[in-house]
Amino acid sequence: MPLRFHWRLIQRGGAAAGRGERVAADAALPALDEQAEFCRAAEEHGIDSVLVDINAGKPDPMVFALPLARATRKLKFLVAHRPGLMSPALFVQQVNTFSALSGGRILLNVVAGHSPAEQRAYGDWLDHDERYRRMDEYLDVCRRFWGGSPVSFQGSYYRVEEGRLNTPFVSSESPAPEIFLGGSSPQAREVAVRHATCWMRFADAPETVARDLADGLPALPPSLTVGLRLSVMVRPTAAEAVSEARRLVEEAQASRRGEGEARFVRASDSLSMRSTLALAEEEWLTPYLWAGAVPFYGATALALVGTPEDVAASLLEYGRAGVSQFILSSWSRADEMVRFGREVLPLVRRAELGSTSLAGRSPGSRSGP
Amino acid sequence: MSVPGARNGKPLRFHWSLSQAGSRLRSSVRREDMPGLPDFGAQLDLCRRAEQSGIESLLMAIGFTRPDPLLLSLALGAETETIKFMVACRPGLLSPVAFVQQVNSASAVLPGRICLNMVMGHTPKELGYYGCFLPHDERFEQADEFLTVCRALWRGDGPVDFQGRHYRVAAARVGTPFVSPAEASPEIFVGGNSSQAADLAARHASCLWRFAEPPESLGPRIASVLAGGTEVGLIVSLLARPTREEALRGTEALLAAAGGEAREVHQRLRGATDSVAYASTYGLADGGGSSAWLTPCLWTGAVPSLGPPAIALVGSTEEIVETLLQYKAIGVSQFLFLGWLDLDEVTFFGREVLPRVRAEEGPCL
Repeated sequence: MPLRFHWRLIQRGGAAAGRGERVAADAALPALDEQAEFCRAAEEHGIDSVLVDINAGKPDPMVFALPLARATRKLKFLVAHRPGLMSPALFVQQVNTFSALSGGRILLNVVAGHSPAEQRAYGDWLDHDERYRRMDEYLDVCRRFWGGSPVSFQGSYYRVEEGRLNTPFVSSESPAPEIFLGGSSPQAREVAVRHATCWMRFADAPETVARDLADGLPALPPSLTVGLRLSVMVRPTAAEAVSEARRLVEEAQASRRGEGEARFVRASDSLSMRSTLALAEEEWLTPYLWAGAVPFYGATALALVGTPEDVAASLLEYGRAGVSQFILSSWSRADEMVRFGREVLPLVRRAELGSTSLAGRSPGSRSGP
Repeated sequence: MSVPGARNGKPLRFHWSLSQAGSRLRSSVRREDMPGLPDFGAQLDLCRRAEQSGIESLLMAIGFTRPDPLLLSLALGAETETIKFMVACRPGLLSPVAFVQQVNSASAVLPGRICLNMVMGHTPKELGYYGCFLPHDERFEQADEFLTVCRALWRGDGPVDFQGRHYRVAAARVGTPFVSPAEASPEIFVGGNSSQAADLAARHASCLWRFAEPPESLGPRIASVLAGGTEVGLIVSLLARPTREEALRGTEALLAAAGGEAREVHQRLRGATDSVAYASTYGLADGGGSSAWLTPCLWTGAVPSLGPPAIALVGSTEEIVETLLQYKAIGVSQFLFLGWLDLDEVTFFGREVLPRVRAEEGPCL
């Protein structure tokens, strides 16, 4: 199977590295036309889906993604969802409605929430481990609905009696949406093993990822694919890529954004967020994997930085380590996605067809500058 | 024609139900068998026709037999210009904060075109599909808390704290605002014939929807709601034709099309409902035969086969105009119509009925 590439939708117009309140306002009310333009560019450039993420400062991802789906033809939408805020039957009804109105172009990114304060704002008072136990039940109920009616279920968090939904999940590819589930805690991994089609994790050095996939517990079944959250910074030369990445961090420092991020992460009860921030003590995890932006932009800013060849080779190396999907972000500008689609993706596809030696090439010996 | 009170107050407002577009007799079959993937093209046709016919909003019903009304509204709204969507919501299904986030997000996509119809469900069995097992009165109590949180968020005066029996939120906020050129929050309708519904509407809504009944019995029942400053609207089917004879032929055709099994479907639903509006409207239809005419224009003959929303205003253009104005005279200010031949009915309404209503209402202040 060819590697699959997803891209995080930047919900704040063109340049993300804006300032304070303006950024928050832009994120809360993104320009739909610009977002649709980004989505059309993504589908032209071989991106499988765009990730529409979730928090209280942004539009609801399911609602916001639907008009984008209506404005595109084949791009899928990886819609983030936090169980616990609605009835699983209502959620399945929304997902099925989305599928019917988009030709099945919805994937789910199920997240447990990472900020206790934000969860309480929504009326959710469970702690980290309980949120995962509830997520387990929630996905159990959802998958029963996708498996057929009627659904009866009695658990600690949910009870359904002979549940029916007349609107089915509509897709030519599968009877139920693909479920992407992230998180490094054993609880997250357990739920992923039980319910997900793709287990997502933040990036790390390929050998570390490979070791985790092989030895981490609970063991991941072969049917569960592995996805990596990762940023990319691609430039014609490695020096340009590094200098552009550094420039963004300096800009962030100037706007004191890093302080906010570190405070946000300290307040988080997500294990993966905290451990990735700890990773960032070291600036280069491999010759191309740069952690310099993590303190400022969060765990997903762990980035492959380099030339198209460097980045393609690194992605293929992850592929050999067992990763088959990438959920990429560009924490700077939307046109990074186009650059990736034009310059990196063709190299990956060519290597996958075996027409170049790129796949066999080991990353160069450049050490962190 | 001159109906006393016709010229009082604001012009009547008219809304239309999308629920039958593309599956006209859906309420004659078992609910489990109703199509869950309605014909989008037919729905869009009705939206466009309603938009051209002076209809203000389309009711987007909620229930296990249908697609999600909010998402469907977005898809239909993208291909129409001005018509609003009155999105039905059942409070017990989600966090009020998540709900406000969804509604506000939808308003950002369709500015000024989203309003809400809060409904408390009508059959405990169906509510159990969604994990809601509260009895009738508690559902209204839950809705009261739900709307208290929602409206605090829409007021936008800082983070919202709330602790009730059903919901507890701390420092809640929603980044995406409600977007409308005219309003700071969505217009809220509440549906129901019970006293709890009237109380809920008085506290939180601009208008209470009730199923139709004769003006003489309706008047006293809505007096206190009106006195409290909340509007009252009627949900009723419409069968208007150029002449009364044609309208009566329409009722016969409708009953013939509904078929014999439809009565059994509704006997079962009647036994299963805990909605006061449903139970009382089924009750109004009990006489059958000539007693199906509660007034010369208010007909319950289709209710046993097609359910409470099939209580209908039937008559010639003149009769319908007069009836609407009689309701206006007792304080009813909005109508939510269902049509059994949707496109024809809404077209006829817009072309024949509405202009005469406006003429009778006179220039509005």
